[in-house]
Amino acid sequence: MAQRTLTTGGKGAVARVPIDPPARHTGDTADTDVGGSFTLYNGSSGTFLPVKEGNDVMATVKFDQASRIYPGNDTPSVDRLDIDVADGEFLVLVGPSGCGKSTSLRMLAGLEEVNDGKIWIGDRDVTDLSPKDRDVAMVFQNYALYPHMTVADNMGFALKIAGVDKGEIRKRVQEAAGILDLTDYLERKPKALSGGQRQRVAMGRAIVRSPQVFLMDEPLSNLDAKLRVQTRTQIASLQRRLGVTTVYVTHDQIEAMTMGDRIALLKDGILQQCATPREMYDRPNNVFVAGFIGSPAMNLVSVPVTEDGVQFGSHRLHVDRSLLGSSGNEVIVGMRPEDVEVTTNEDGLELIVDVVEELGADAYVYATPANPDIRLEGVGDDALAKPFIARVDGRRVPDKGSKIFVYPNPDHMHVFDKESGARLG
Amino acid sequence: MSTQPALVSENVQAIENLEGGPARGGSFRGRRIGGDSWTTTFLLALCSLTVLIPLYVTIAMAFKTTEQAVEGSAFSLPAPFSIDGFREAWSLTDFPRAFTISLLVTAGTVFGTIILAAFASYAISRNWERRLFRYSFFYLLAAMFIPFPVLALAQIRLTGLAGLDNPAGVTLLHIMFQLSFSVLLFTAFLRSIPMELEESARIDGASTWQTFWHLIFPLLAPMSATVGIFAFLASWNDFMMPSLITSDPSLQTLPVVQSIFQTQFSNNYNVSFASYLMAMAPAIIVYIFTQRWVMAGVTQGAVKG
Ligand SMILES: Nc1ncnc2c1ncn2[C@@H]1O[C@H](COP(=O)(O)OP(=O)(O)OP(=O)(O)O)[C@@H](O)[C@H]1O
Ligand SMILES: [Mg+2]
Repeated sequence: MAQRTLTTGGKGAVARVPIDPPARHTGDTADTDVGGSFTLYNGSSGTFLPVKEGNDVMATVKFDQASRIYPGNDTPSVDRLDIDVADGEFLVLVGPSGCGKSTSLRMLAGLEEVNDGKIWIGDRDVTDLSPKDRDVAMVFQNYALYPHMTVADNMGFALKIAGVDKGEIRKRVQEAAGILDLTDYLERKPKALSGGQRQRVAMGRAIVRSPQVFLMDEPLSNLDAKLRVQTRTQIASLQRRLGVTTVYVTHDQIEAMTMGDRIALLKDGILQQCATPREMYDRPNNVFVAGFIGSPAMNLVSVPVTEDGVQFGSHRLHVDRSLLGSSGNEVIVGMRPEDVEVTTNEDGLELIVDVVEELGADAYVYATPANPDIRLEGVGDDALAKPFIARVDGRRVPDKGSKIFVYPNPDHMHVFDKESGARLG
Repeated sequence: MSTQPALVSENVQAIENLEGGPARGGSFRGRRIGGDSWTTTFLLALCSLTVLIPLYVTIAMAFKTTEQAVEGSAFSLPAPFSIDGFREAWSLTDFPRAFTISLLVTAGTVFGTIILAAFASYAISRNWERRLFRYSFFYLLAAMFIPFPVLALAQIRLTGLAGLDNPAGVTLLHIMFQLSFSVLLFTAFLRSIPMELEESARIDGASTWQTFWHLIFPLLAPMSATVGIFAFLASWNDFMMPSLITSDPSLQTLPVVQSIFQTQFSNNYNVSFASYLMAMAPAIIVYIFTQRWVMAGVTQGAVKG
């Protein structure tokens, strides 16, 4: 991703900007090289935006037991949130609707009071600072462009307020407009722009300021599906080039997986797991994370515990007894569709095939347990009607309505406590 | 004075259009031309005559000679066409002086009302959950129901004591009496401005004061125009307040000065009507220009994608 050129609609910007960022700001590897390498593209050479002049300030972000309880509510909307975001990192806050993503972001922006705990940006305690003193820029879901100002004025507003002189403002707006392919629209009012263009203006408004932290609250949700995928990549690569610490909110786990250096998954205001996309996928902390991350979702089945493992239909799976230690006589076994072994021998959990989704090389088999007592655990609204999903070779697909037997690949199965949902081992 | 109701009702329609949604006023004029709407149109046309006929008489009278005005029918056309009435009215009322005073009072009222009401409304609507602000809103609303004559005596005394028995005092009182309704209009409009805009401005580093001047006030422009028109009409046409408050007759506003025609020169119809016409002209001109501006609808496409 780091090597990808910015493809904001093509011409202009891309040609001028050599995209070969020598230092990719991944998470904790914020090395001293960063400042130096970016000065290559710095300033008025017309090549690149000024990236935080004198980039020696570490723009880390730290939620330290930060809580928010709205007046009139009984439960906190954000409950003792603990996240460390490294300098230059792209952190995605993800979770189902109402889990407190926006609230967390607004707390960081200073738009929402922090009732308990602290929030740090770099080594500044910003808990009680007003938004204007935090040096953050935010992209809102509906962009919140100032309707009475031209695109150029929108982008230059923060600089104007900060008292930057006119020439400098114009220069920086021009540079940002070049990068975002907005040069032709600078004199237009927001209402004369398409949704995608508005989105880019909102991005531009944030970039021009070169703040310590970018905050984005579902900035893509007003775009159509195709544009969303395209813009997703653009934002991610832009962030990587600018190297500005970013906290990005989305409810879409695919966006989270593709964009984030790390993902923080929230549920009911409580942080479930904060890890790299790979780790979230391979080692989910609990049933909720397991079910939320990945598409199609992980299959989760309650199964009985035996002396040396678990009983998966007629298939015995060996699980280290010590792992199962404290849990009762049932655990939840999870396996991703690609980690399911499908056979016609009577070995494993018996399923009836409902639908087969052909994808060419592969096919997804949607099936329901033949024994109605077997429950598939699910996450979210459609938990009840959840089918078992298995990925099979596209050349050997079972027929609709036929019987199959499945069991997990023992190297890639996940075991969760039935009660707490926590990962075992 | 007779033209005011018509102007005001037009105005209310302008507000409706502003508040978004499909233009309600226009739709039955444009699309539905069923039997129903013909009746309505006819009734409205009939009503408009109550304004148009007096207006015609005023204009016709103003251009007549004194003899013709006294003898002829009120509806006859002026023949010969004469501007003596205007000339005489000009000197009798000392028109330039009275006009200037009226203009100053009105300009002060319009400016003061827009600024003060916008300040107050912004403060009230953004602090609604605080009791002080909420109650001050209701306090202002309550004031709307107290007519000036009730307070007149007390206010004459008070302005006299404060040395405000002059056009400045009139301006101040005009602003106060416009405030309630203007705050009502502004607060309704402010509620329709998305909070994100302000939050965005605050994150962009703007203080409350800067947010107001750079963001809120420009967005309020269409409503400011409406409030301004109301303030203009109320102040420009007001007779009662200046006549009671201002003690020095040489500092009277135009409507008060014109009242001499109703007593001294009661048969000089052409002069009095010419004078009325001159006094009315600014109101009509202002109305024609600001009306277009009100319609411009600055906030369209504010936030939605
Ligand atoms: N102003 C408010 N007053 C009271 N409760 C609120 C307020 N704003 C949000 N909440 C509650 O706080 C919780 C978290 O809301 P939040 O907006 O952070 O959710 P979210 O994760 O951003 O959801 P979505 O994906 O739908 O935007 C919700 O349960 C919501 O009902
Ligand atoms: Mg939200």
